[in-house]
Amino acid sequence: MTHDETVRSEDLVEAASESLERPRKHAVLSETELRRYTRLYVVLPIVFLLVTLFGGMRFAAADHSFLFLPPPLICLIFGAVTIFLIFRARLIEFESWFNEQHPILENAANAGVILVIFTASVQVYNLLLPETGLANWVVTALFVWTLWNDIFADFDQKKLLRSLAGLFAIAFVTKYLVLSNLAVKNDASWLQRILENPGKEAATWFLDLPVYSPATGYLQFFTILLFLFGLFLTPRRANTKKLPS
Amino acid sequence: MRTSYFHIACLLIVAIGMTLIVFIYSTQPKTLTEIATKGSVAIGTYEVNRGEFENGLAAFRRDEFEAARAAFDRADPEKRDAATQFYVAYSFYRQGWGRVSNDNDLFTKGLSAAERVLQLDPNYRSADPQLGLKTPTELKAELEDGLKITVSDFNPLKVTRERK
Repeated sequence: MTHDETVRSEDLVEAASESLERPRKHAVLSETELRRYTRLYVVLPIVFLLVTLFGGMRFAAADHSFLFLPPPLICLIFGAVTIFLIFRARLIEFESWFNEQHPILENAANAGVILVIFTASVQVYNLLLPETGLANWVVTALFVWTLWNDIFADFDQKKLLRSLAGLFAIAFVTKYLVLSNLAVKNDASWLQRILENPGKEAATWFLDLPVYSPATGYLQFFTILLFLFGLFLTPRRANTKKLPS
Repeated sequence: MRTSYFHIACLLIVAIGMTLIVFIYSTQPKTLTEIATKGSVAIGTYEVNRGEFENGLAAFRRDEFEAARAAFDRADPEKRDAATQFYVAYSFYRQGWGRVSNDNDLFTKGLSAAERVLQLDPNYRSADPQLGLKTPTELKAELEDGLKITVSDFNPLKVTRERK
């Protein structure tokens, strides 16, 4: 073997070993990617799972014990519409989150994140809807009206977040400030309650309002904030790498 | 660190979190202590509090049935121990038993407790020599008999019978 041939074969070996090392270098995440993946695959699921847990939680007026109310069917429909709006307003870019060119594991993890966003939005409607009575019917009708209009509205990400925040704020004020103050909370007898506060007693009876401990309102306020914070943290694209067309 | 670790971590967080939430919403715990107790039932580490059980037994033998039941409830909050529930049913029987007439409310509660014992362990047999009725089936039959109005209830000799 001549000197030239030896040098050429050494170059070939070097090039081959470099090409073998390249995928390994790609597999190691940079600091920015590490933070991005932590936010997307660790922080976001935890935030939305907390919203899912606390959304149906109430505190009993009598002994402050926990009550866990499962969501009614209408909340699942509202949750589905919200997910549709999130995709439509491109708050989440569908083709970046789910793509046949991604590994199955990545698509499954992204589906897991979408699942917890769905369950969290279901529970947010569960916490905002009055549980029973006339108020439940009225607020449900208003939600149907608003979400139906939103389906046909021209949305971008900011407008959607503003619209959802506004909708949740007004529903929260209605349920936890207006209606809860109309409900009678004391343990006095029926006759005593009528004599002491006939207006509240009539409203409680007419609107069929459940009575909860004031701690419920505080918990639900932070649950809504957590949900909106979670949506704010959600990246538009799950995968920053450009996909080959 | 590889991206697949994050994907696996995400799937694990979602699966564990959703299981926990479904568990909490299906068991409806009322306090943090209840969450821990129901959790121990779910993972199979639930045990009766022996100290409270002994307190309940002592109160039962002193005929302090309400105190006994309170102690038994603390010993077995999830109502999963056949022995404890048998004593609960027996305490309703003994408290409700009367020489002339029985307390129907207490007998009804005793009946449901006896049925609970039968569901937990149909072959349960008490080793306590101080109990006249050894099995939940015998106790159930005695409670059902006590709830019925029959001709024998008007027999004056009935006042001579003894509590079991």
